[in-house]
Amino acid sequence: MPMVLLNCDTDIPEREKHVYLKAAGEDTRDFLPLANASTIPGTLSERGCAFCGAKLVIGGVLKDTIQMIHGPIGCAYDTWHTKRYPSDDGKHFQMKYVWSTDMKESHIVFGGEKRLEKAMNEAFDEMPEIKRMIVYTTCPTALIGDDIPATVKRVTDKRPDVDIFVVECPGFAGVSQSKGHHVLNIGWIDHKVGTLEPEIKSKYTMNFIGDYNIQGDTQLLQQYWDRLGIQVISHFTGNANYDDLRGMHRAQLNVVNCARSAGYIANELKKRYGIPRLDIDSWGFNYMAEGIRKVCAFFGIEEKGEELIAEEYTKWKPKLDWYKERLQGAKMAIWTGGPRLWHWTKSVEDDLGVRVVAMSSKFGHEEDFEKVIARGQEGTYYIDDGNELEFFEIIDLIKPDVIFTGPRVGELVKKLHIPYVNGHGYHNGPYMGFEGFVNLARDMYNAVHNPLLSLAAEDIRGTTQVAFKEAAE
Amino acid sequence: MSSKIDALFNYVQERCLWQFFSRTWDRQENIDGILATATDLLAGQAPKLDTPMDRLFYADAKIMVSDLRARLPWLNETPPAEIRELIEGLKARLEEIAIAGSKNRELSHHLY
Repeated sequence: MPMVLLNCDTDIPEREKHVYLKAAGEDTRDFLPLANASTIPGTLSERGCAFCGAKLVIGGVLKDTIQMIHGPIGCAYDTWHTKRYPSDDGKHFQMKYVWSTDMKESHIVFGGEKRLEKAMNEAFDEMPEIKRMIVYTTCPTALIGDDIPATVKRVTDKRPDVDIFVVECPGFAGVSQSKGHHVLNIGWIDHKVGTLEPEIKSKYTMNFIGDYNIQGDTQLLQQYWDRLGIQVISHFTGNANYDDLRGMHRAQLNVVNCARSAGYIANELKKRYGIPRLDIDSWGFNYMAEGIRKVCAFFGIEEKGEELIAEEYTKWKPKLDWYKERLQGAKMAIWTGGPRLWHWTKSVEDDLGVRVVAMSSKFGHEEDFEKVIARGQEGTYYIDDGNELEFFEIIDLIKPDVIFTGPRVGELVKKLHIPYVNGHGYHNGPYMGFEGFVNLARDMYNAVHNPLLSLAAEDIRGTTQVAFKEAAE
Repeated sequence: MSSKIDALFNYVQERCLWQFFSRTWDRQENIDGILATATDLLAGQAPKLDTPMDRLFYADAKIMVSDLRARLPWLNETPPAEIRELIEGLKARLEEIAIAGSKNRELSHHLY
């Protein structure tokens, strides 16, 4: 089966290159959806902007860092507290506060550097215990050419105890949030890695890359590394401090979960410092066990790994199996950013008996589609940069029992009486690790078997009522 | 022989993220290193563990070999010469799908 032109895409036939239905005997040499390409005019994309990829996904996770957003107020608000990444100190500084230079027309006309300098000083004065900051450009401040590094130098000259990182990645810099991941990764290794020596406390050290502590993922996995005696020098960037990430060059191993948002820095750490890159899947029982086995094999501590896996299986596997029995055969769609497609498609199939029937990626690259098509089922749709009308049509074609997606699309599909689970920020996470996958299974079970779904579909007004007419009719 | 290589190839496609690293040279390095170590392990020879990259290849190869032995019992009865031949066949298939025949437009970009 070649690429698919959906009925809703008749007027934008370019979309055919982005939608694939896998058939028997085909592989990625035959068909691969076009990805990381500009959104086609006429399609209502679900994508975020490049600035959002840098701030919301990676930089904004740091628990001790002011996030100074140099731009109009909306850029700050729309990338604030829409993701749930707590911190283990109980302060959740990164979720409580938001900072902006609140650029207005006059600042655009006359330049915003003075305003930025004032805002940076104000922020440090208001929060004297905080000594670290990331400054982000946005579309308007990049267009008017404000010199951010020069402004930062003026501030750091007067405040020698602070350290500031600049991310020059306006929203228009790339086709999606993926560009922001890239810019932050490369900027960080160019300017910050190697500027601080970490304290080495174990003979086994690693960085854990591409995990953002969504509802405590990082904290859950940290329990495993502690039990194995492995020091995680840097979590990039879940539950991390700014200075933790300056010492990434001293780790013996880079363990990568999200290869899309953070594969770049793992590649550069290998190229510049000779640190090997080990990619694992942290979601799913089978995968998590495999990941632990690989990490332990690298360090030569296989027995410790087997003990840990046995303990976790004893504790959590019966609970997982309870849900598996009740989810067997359920049809699932995954409409998320990119990597969760290939992380989840086999893990829900193997661990829960669930069949993934459609997957859509907002910002995945062609590498991500190679991974997911290799792992995914025949008869499943693989979509790049899907739009709302395509989602409606795909739903009609595959009739999913549950959709893992974000709240925007989730609210949309709820109106069709299809349950959704938050595939980005989770419903009741964490979802990583053994315990986490039981949480995922529980949320999926509660969604699929929720009796409210059938009740909500019943129209008690009967047939005599005049249906409310849409304004557009 | 062909159906045995198919079985090995299907396993790698389904399980192994290392075949799909970012660039052609990363993929080639992984395919070469992990399959060489896997060949040693399947033949009962001690793997090389001198450098961090050796240990990385060992970590991936060890789990792969353990899985393959469990999923494909005939592998346990296969003599070393045939194992080398099978792994050579697998290597060619992986190089074809992940490198030479890949439609991924970013594979040869000189920067990450």
